Amino acid sequence: MKRAKFIIFIIFSSLLLTGCAGKREINDLALVMAVGIDKGSKDGMVKVTAQVSRPGDARGQTGAPIGQSGETSWNVEAEGETIFEAIRNLTGISSRRVFWAHNFIIVINEEVAKEGIGDIIDFFTRNPELRMRTLVALTPDKASEITSTITSLEVVPGEALSKLFRYTNISTLAPHTEIKDLLAAYLSESTEPILARLTLEERKIDSLKPEKGAKVNQVGLSGAGVFKNDKLVGILQADELQGIILFRDKIDSGVVVIDCPKEPKNEISVELNKQKFDVEPTYKNDKVSFNAKLDATVTVVEAGCPFSISDKEAVKQLEKSVEAKLNDDINKSIEKIQKEYQSDVLELGKIFQNKYPYEWKKMKKDWADTFANAEINLSIQANVESGSLLFQPTISGKEREGE
Amino acid sequence: METTSKDKRFTAELEKNIAIIRRELGDSIDLVKRNIFFLGNRQVSSVLFYIDGLASVEHVEKVIDAMMFEGNEFIKRNQLLISDLQTLIEQHVLMNTSFSMIEEVEKALIAILSGDSILFVDGCQKAFHIQTKGWDTRSVDEPQTEQVVRGSRDGFTENIRTNTALVRRRIRDPELRLETMSIGLRTRTDVNIAYINGIVKKGLVDEVKKRLNRIQIDGILESGYIEEMIADSPFSPFTTIMSTERPDKVASALLEGRVAIFVDNTPFVLVVPTYFWQFLQASDDYYMGFMAGSFFRIIRYIAFIISLTLTSIYVMLVSFHQEMIPTPLALTIASGREIVPFPVLLEALLMEITFELMREAGLRMPKPVGQAVSIVGSLVIGQAAVQAGIVSPFMVIVVAVTGISSFAIPNYSASYSIRLIRFPLLIASGTLGLLGFSVMFTLLAIHALSIRSFGESYLAPATPFQPNDQKDTLIRFPWWGMKKRPQLADGDTIKLGSHQKPKPPNKVKDPIEKNKDNQSESGGEENQKEEDKSNMESRDNSDITGLRRWKKKTGDNKGAKRKE
Repeated sequence: MKRAKFIIFIIFSSLLLTGCAGKREINDLALVMAVGIDKGSKDGMVKVTAQVSRPGDARGQTGAPIGQSGETSWNVEAEGETIFEAIRNLTGISSRRVFWAHNFIIVINEEVAKEGIGDIIDFFTRNPELRMRTLVALTPDKASEITSTITSLEVVPGEALSKLFRYTNISTLAPHTEIKDLLAAYLSESTEPILARLTLEERKIDSLKPEKGAKVNQVGLSGAGVFKNDKLVGILQADELQGIILFRDKIDSGVVVIDCPKEPKNEISVELNKQKFDVEPTYKNDKVSFNAKLDATVTVVEAGCPFSISDKEAVKQLEKSVEAKLNDDINKSIEKIQKEYQSDVLELGKIFQNKYPYEWKKMKKDWADTFANAEINLSIQANVESGSLLFQPTISGKEREGE
Repeated sequence: METTSKDKRFTAELEKNIAIIRRELGDSIDLVKRNIFFLGNRQVSSVLFYIDGLASVEHVEKVIDAMMFEGNEFIKRNQLLISDLQTLIEQHVLMNTSFSMIEEVEKALIAILSGDSILFVDGCQKAFHIQTKGWDTRSVDEPQTEQVVRGSRDGFTENIRTNTALVRRRIRDPELRLETMSIGLRTRTDVNIAYINGIVKKGLVDEVKKRLNRIQIDGILESGYIEEMIADSPFSPFTTIMSTERPDKVASALLEGRVAIFVDNTPFVLVVPTYFWQFLQASDDYYMGFMAGSFFRIIRYIAFIISLTLTSIYVMLVSFHQEMIPTPLALTIASGREIVPFPVLLEALLMEITFELMREAGLRMPKPVGQAVSIVGSLVIGQAAVQAGIVSPFMVIVVAVTGISSFAIPNYSASYSIRLIRFPLLIASGTLGLLGFSVMFTLLAIHALSIRSFGESYLAPATPFQPNDQKDTLIRFPWWGMKKRPQLADGDTIKLGSHQKPKPPNKVKDPIEKNKDNQSESGGEENQKEEDKSNMESRDNSDITGLRRWKKKTGDNKGAKRKE
């Protein structure tokens, strides 16, 4: 009994001796919200911009001190030979410990990306403090500018950037690539990474007199960058992107705009719902080909010309033109990545490997070439299911005939 | 304690007897000695001893009346001789009081000290022990610590007889047994053990008696003394013996096969054995609908978890594991802590101690100044501390929620044991983070698992898992769904008849069967009367509820049609 008491005493007193090891208060941390990676001032140098939130101003609570700068974030830059060195140098500037676990987004300058992002992928996945769910994006502009651009909606710019990607699964404007996806694509034998692109655009903020008034820079999504290994090889513009994203089957909805059958000046917009994309690889006579089949249910969301869902002829015509349009779009995008960039962002290699694991062993060495020459047959089936709330065409009552 | 009076007996000489009492009890001011001449006869003197305040004056007056006058007429008329004085008094004088004859001095002393009177008659070998107990007590009141919305409002008092009677009134079972003993060499406190024979587990009563008999102490002033003297694990922060002020709680515990220990001079009755989960169960759970009861019980479980862990988790997250906080929340917390000069652990301890101070002050101070403390307290904690930047607003919320949760636990002693074990948990998680939290939590869990209450696992029926008892643990099943008593009970374990779930009567049945059912089921007198009253022609064999008959009377066509 006495010994037991002694042991308990030792255990409890050792608690007091820990000195709170590894302890750091939340207000002693510089919470990084976004990171920008640019080329350094000298060759071979890299510049890291960290956007640190200033909680006192970001939340403005009772107890927060008055008389701060009033900005919600603090942007610091540091240079170094490697990213890690640059980040080490950051600590020389920051009075608080730089804390990465809350990082929303990593923005990489395209110049850096062209030289390869292998070290970036490595650094951001090796460190346990960094989250695997951080978004990654490219920019043709300076990454430091992108991360520090203040939007009027969100309090912290980094949060605003990450929220641009929130609805990409319905807007088909950009691929949603997190660092874990990037790593997976990079490590894959066949798949190549694809990253969304952010650009700075000038917007006029005065809504009453847009031509006058101040202009402000706003960050927006614009297309995607296609990689080969870890190097940026090409850019897909926003209109070329839908085909790719449809192919990767990650979206919930998308919009297709086609001309009216009778009045080419006006357009009908249809929304893709419940699309199903099947890709079937075939391997015959040492030739690889893919049969891609897209079954999409579409809904008319805006008709610029009279359209009635009960008019079967018109519906059929509409379905046909939707199919043609989609076919065109997707083919164009595929052409570009297949022939021009020779980068398998469509994950076709993975599909092929799943079906032909033995053949794959031979093929994987020069998959890039095989992919570039593979035949991709597209067959699209569109079904116009409903006209949403309107079953009858919307025609002005004065022009209506008959009845 | 002197033992000189142990085997002493009274003698036939009055003077000697008086001398014995005088020697044993001394010249206490409240010891009253009344000289009575039996039937006014100067030759037969007698003396009555009692304690002023403990003996009821009415009773004493009655005894004196009887001794001096009432027997007079009767004895004179019947020419009874004053030869056998003792038999005469026994049979013809003390008729309106209950009494017994005693010889031992020891017994007489205890009798006097517990409010009875002792009557010595010159020439009698034995003394008359007359029941005259009667002192001022608090009346049966609403229990102060365990209040309910629905349920009986009577609570135990300081009088042990009243208390046992309150339980007797609830259980009119001849098998309900009360056994008495007195504990405390000097206080000689009455302790009663109550149990229901045939439900209580074999050996449990003996164990309780054994533990109670073992106690050698000079005084028992409250049941807390006994609680600590018979607990299974004396060093545990957990209370393994439940104390309650509510007679209905004791009654329900007895029906579950537990043993209740009544102690004189306290309204708190002990119930053994106790499971930990009993502390989270309120009487209301059983009196309200089972859905509401279960919901509130779940709320109480949540309150228990919050009061035990919330502060620790907050401290742990904010000072060690900031990455586990969602980003917007992390920013909010960080902004509140921006100018707080203390580490989170210290801040938490500061607030917890302030809270405990306020609770303690609120409990102890005289009622008229209560307002002052609450105003100052809410101002200091709620406003000024935050504005001054000493604590963060988040910490105030956390501590307040923790405090409120700890008050939601219905049993006060359980609530303070939880409040106690919160502190080691808080310090461990503040110094070692998640590691410290989980280690300390595991240690506490192991400890709680290891302790027992009168041979029963403290955490039963969760561990060891009792499938049947789950009906009354996390949620409360409806009464018609709980057929068996808890595992604890022995012998008569079924407490419910079969098919007790109520349901509306079946509408269409075979008429012949119906007839049987009608005779067997409609045992109620009212039903019978109604049927007698109703017209014999309109009597319908297939009518149990009388609904159709009623419809017929009011001329409802539908009813008539259906009959056809």
